[in-house]
Amino acid sequence: MNQKNTDTEQICVPMTVDVPYRFAAGKYMARFLTELRDNGRFVGIKCPSCNRVQMPPRVVCAACHVKNDEWVELSSEGTMVGFTIMYLPLTDPTTGKPHEPPFVYGSVRLDGSDSTVEHMVNVEPDLDKVWVGMRMKVVLRDREERIGDLSDIIHFEPLPGQKRPQ
Amino acid sequence: MKRNVAIIGGGQTYHAARRHDVDQGEMVNEAVRAALKDAQMTMDDIDAVFLGNMEFFEGTHLTDCWLAGSAGAYGKPGMKITTGGTVGATIIGAGMHHIAAGLFDRVLCIGFEKQEEGDTGAILSGVAHPLYGRSMAGAAVGYFAMMGTSYMAAWGAKEEHAAMVAVKARQNARKNQYAHLKLDITIEDALNSRMLAYPVRMLDMCPASNGACAVILGDEKTAKDRCKKPVWIRAMDTAHNEQFEIDWRNVTLTKPIFSTACAARMYKRLGVDDPKKYFDVFEIYEPATWAEMVWYEDLGLCGRGEGFKLMEEGATAIDGPIPVNPSGGVLSTNCIGASAMLRVWEAALQIRGDAGGHQVPNEVNRALATAYGGTNWTVMTALSSSTED
Repeated sequence: MNQKNTDTEQICVPMTVDVPYRFAAGKYMARFLTELRDNGRFVGIKCPSCNRVQMPPRVVCAACHVKNDEWVELSSEGTMVGFTIMYLPLTDPTTGKPHEPPFVYGSVRLDGSDSTVEHMVNVEPDLDKVWVGMRMKVVLRDREERIGDLSDIIHFEPLPGQKRPQ
Repeated sequence: MKRNVAIIGGGQTYHAARRHDVDQGEMVNEAVRAALKDAQMTMDDIDAVFLGNMEFFEGTHLTDCWLAGSAGAYGKPGMKITTGGTVGATIIGAGMHHIAAGLFDRVLCIGFEKQEEGDTGAILSGVAHPLYGRSMAGAAVGYFAMMGTSYMAAWGAKEEHAAMVAVKARQNARKNQYAHLKLDITIEDALNSRMLAYPVRMLDMCPASNGACAVILGDEKTAKDRCKKPVWIRAMDTAHNEQFEIDWRNVTLTKPIFSTACAARMYKRLGVDDPKKYFDVFEIYEPATWAEMVWYEDLGLCGRGEGFKLMEEGATAIDGPIPVNPSGGVLSTNCIGASAMLRVWEAALQIRGDAGGHQVPNEVNRALATAYGGTNWTVMTALSSSTED
């Protein structure tokens, strides 16, 4: 009989925890998401004190501690402020499926906004074809496919006719 | 502060990617025993136990309850603290405040993480807003990758500068017996390591470590009566960033961000004009190479856009004029719940002159430790060998 050495045997037990959630979007985020879903528009909120436009909209301006209540329509075009070419098959926790690498992922400041939105970028994973400062536009799903979630954005796409600055 | 507070002992485990030989309690107990031995104390001397980790990284909650035995907390007052990457420093802050306020005289602080036991990537996605970022989460790697491209575009830094940080950290770690990644690497090795998310390569990122740190804090009387080398906590500050507003993309702006605001407040309290002259060593929380260079700027060690030049000059080397992370830092050891406490403890060891192989050659009387985590917030701790400054 195979005698186990109880001093050195190390036991590790694999486990999976499945935790469902419900998340209340709240008044401000709900309006942002319904505008995106129903009208294909991005809306931000302007601080009455410092005038910065925040997206996603939220109830108070953190810097000024005043209630935000002026809604602003934003452009669906903007400027890339940071990006990465991702080589890891990161799992989308909302679907459980991995994003297939390599893909470009970026942070874009929409015109009229002081904040940014992050999403997939539809360019080849090639440093000659993507750079900080690149002008981008949002590509949304068709109206009937939109559900009121950031996944309603398919990706960002570079505006045509741009050259990488030297 | 109403009462002075000192670090009167501490200890850490050896850090590694695998610790199947111990369960969480056994691992925590290693650090607790080391700290008690260092302070020449027993659990009977301890008034309260504060413990924390990154919530759910090990798939378990209420770690304060079921680790009560191995933490030494059984029958004692205590609390669990969970503030993400900053937690280790927050625990020390909570312990310090309780002592300063006169509620306790001696507090045992414990930070730990067994990263291998859970899915840290999945748990970290919970840091993102569920409707604005979770589905797109690029995890910590994607975040620091965008920091890298943004930083390079803003200031003209190159990937080579990040590689210099990677080399400094791992070469320093080789001198630290407790560090996880003790790698004899060159800049070429760093630049040739596997790309994870451009421009962040394997050697640009911290490892996922298992380990624990324990620090014992005492009031002035205990410190002076019982401790040969007390290290005084002279100031501590913390600052949050606004959710959704990622500061590093605004590095060209002059508006205060979490880390600069926190440092400025603390420097003002301590009367610090030039932090690189005031402090003799820095232990900063740099989960990625790019974060280290941004920290130099946020802490005022150089001007905006000059962090990579400081790296290039070798100013922050272990024997340089501004030693940063002689321990090897988070880039070499990241047991998240312990990482921020390790920054404080390593800073204390430098002041005591007890850092061993990675002791900086210049005399150390003052040290600054930073923490970093969540949706961008920091806890900073200033330590001194004296209560007079």
